[in-house]
Amino acid sequence: MGKDRIHLAWVSSAEAQRFVEVVTRVTDSIKGQGKFDSKAFAFELAAAEKTLAGETLRWMVGKEVKITTKGDVYGRKWDKKSFEIIIDSVLEREYQKNLIFQAIKDGFTSVRVINKKIGLDLSRISYLLADLEKTGMVEFTGMEESKPVFAVL
Amino acid sequence: MGDFEPKIVAFLCNWCAYAGADLAGVSRLQYPPNIRTVRVMCSGRVDPLFILEAFKDGVDGVLVSG
Repeated sequence: MGKDRIHLAWVSSAEAQRFVEVVTRVTDSIKGQGKFDSKAFAFELAAAEKTLAGETLRWMVGKEVKITTKGDVYGRKWDKKSFEIIIDSVLEREYQKNLIFQAIKDGFTSVRVINKKIGLDLSRISYLLADLEKTGMVEFTGMEESKPVFAVL
Repeated sequence: MGDFEPKIVAFLCNWCAYAGADLAGVSRLQYPPNIRTVRVMCSGRVDPLFILEAFKDGVDGVLVSG
């Protein structure tokens, strides 16, 4: 999608000149990148939305301060950096799961066609499908031409 | 692409960037008219979902400023 479409900048209330600079810079950058076609990214946007709205990530972000200062329920201490590495890997995993979920929802119901649609490798898809089944998001509906077929719940 | 005018949503913190934008207006500084401002009470109020929603609604860029 292009991470350069999102900008973050700190401007204090007294820095009108800086605000003008930031807005000019951002506008020029977006102008250079051209129009954003939201229809072309509808699939990815839906998966990203489901990921960010999901409780797994929200829970992890919400617990970050507690876990990095007081430790987790097993009394293990986590430093900020390793906790952030975990969050990143969870984020990636949840996003991939939601891509698969979205693909099945759109009618790509077997591992091979999901692979064609989203480009994730076959073993990873199978692995994540098991996870999706366990959490009650998809179900195995039977075999079609000796291929397992799935449906969203 | 020469005359492409992007739509940019700007989430501005009431106390920082929004006041900065206000001051820019009062001081008559010129800046591009492409931003659509959403005033929030703190940039921490901006949920990542707001940004996705903006892109789904067809904006070309998002600026979060605090």
